[in-house]
Amino acid sequence: MTRLERRYRRLLLAYPAGYRRAHGDELVEILLDSAEPGRRSPELREAAGLLMGGLRTRVEHAASGLAWPDGLHLGVTVLAVANLAALLPFVAAIPLWTALSALTLLAVLLGRVRPALPLLLLTGVKATAIAAGVPLLDQVLIPITSAPGSPDGLFATAGPSAVATSYALAFAGSLVLAVRGRPLKSRSWWWWLAVAPAIWPGPVLMADSLFPISVSRMALELGLLLLAVCAARMARDPRWGLAALIYLFSATIMIAGNDLHLTLRHLAYWAVLALPAATALLVSRDHRDPVLR
Amino acid sequence: MYFVLTVLLDGPLHGHAILKRIVEVTTGRVRPTVGTLYAILERLTARGVLVVDREETVNGRVRRYFRITDKGVTIVRAEATRMKEAAVLVLDREALA
Repeated sequence: MTRLERRYRRLLLAYPAGYRRAHGDELVEILLDSAEPGRRSPELREAAGLLMGGLRTRVEHAASGLAWPDGLHLGVTVLAVANLAALLPFVAAIPLWTALSALTLLAVLLGRVRPALPLLLLTGVKATAIAAGVPLLDQVLIPITSAPGSPDGLFATAGPSAVATSYALAFAGSLVLAVRGRPLKSRSWWWWLAVAPAIWPGPVLMADSLFPISVSRMALELGLLLLAVCAARMARDPRWGLAALIYLFSATIMIAGNDLHLTLRHLAYWAVLALPAATALLVSRDHRDPVLR
Repeated sequence: MYFVLTVLLDGPLHGHAILKRIVEVTTGRVRPTVGTLYAILERLTARGVLVVDREETVNGRVRRYFRITDKGVTIVRAEATRMKEAAVLVLDREALA
């Protein structure tokens, strides 16, 4: 295998594995035939074309099947990630509930919404009780902090209604999918990385207010929402918009719960979430000829 | 997509031949990358505008020949008519001037 072929094969990693197995050799053959003699590295435009082609193929594969159940499953996944991310910094204080939350996310990722239902109910009731300062199910010392003497606290900026909404939305979505009874596809393991802001919150925006927002969290939210817009635009499919709106609803309740401490900058943060979420839904609507677009 | 359908009006072609024909008929103005071409081919195949006519194995690698369907012929003709009508709006105006 020449260096050029090796590099082209590396670029083909942008495509889904099944597609690479079926058509990877065919693409490599054309790429090698089209390359100038003596060339050792891919042309920049060919490399960009492969990356975009791979991304488009992934998106179109992901857009197969009925949109609303998949969008609902994706929305439940995002909420399960957010719920785990909220508990993760406090794992030392509440290891059992953090583990159950991680198990919930695992079940959701595997598309097993039936076992996720009791887990969501259990962790949701406990999380809401902690947010409300009510002892329930087991004894924990409230406020729960990430380390002894630390000024932070679990659900310090989210009231019980916001916590309950997030879990209730995830539960309701899972219930609808479970009642429907059709098998769901497994979601990517990359979702585990989305809890990273819980491990590294980074600098904090609006630190002078009672509702500070972590920069890494906001960057992740915005990044994922922009990916949703790109995917919705490429596939003209509403599933990403639906998932984005589910998350936006939960985030809106959380922000609105801090209404006494909100500033214009908080409103701007909400707009940063709302604009791409609405765009993801709007760009999936296309009335042009579906073939030659 | 339009040029892919256009070059396939003459008969089934494999990916590399489609690329070369597009460059020829557009005298080099349009040069799709391999990634772009295959994204188009997959999409048009999924929508029933193209079908895989046959597969040939060359140097141990499978090569697919794509053929335009009747639906594809109708679509590309309609698009050509639409573009011709749009072009006439400008060209007739220039001819009268």
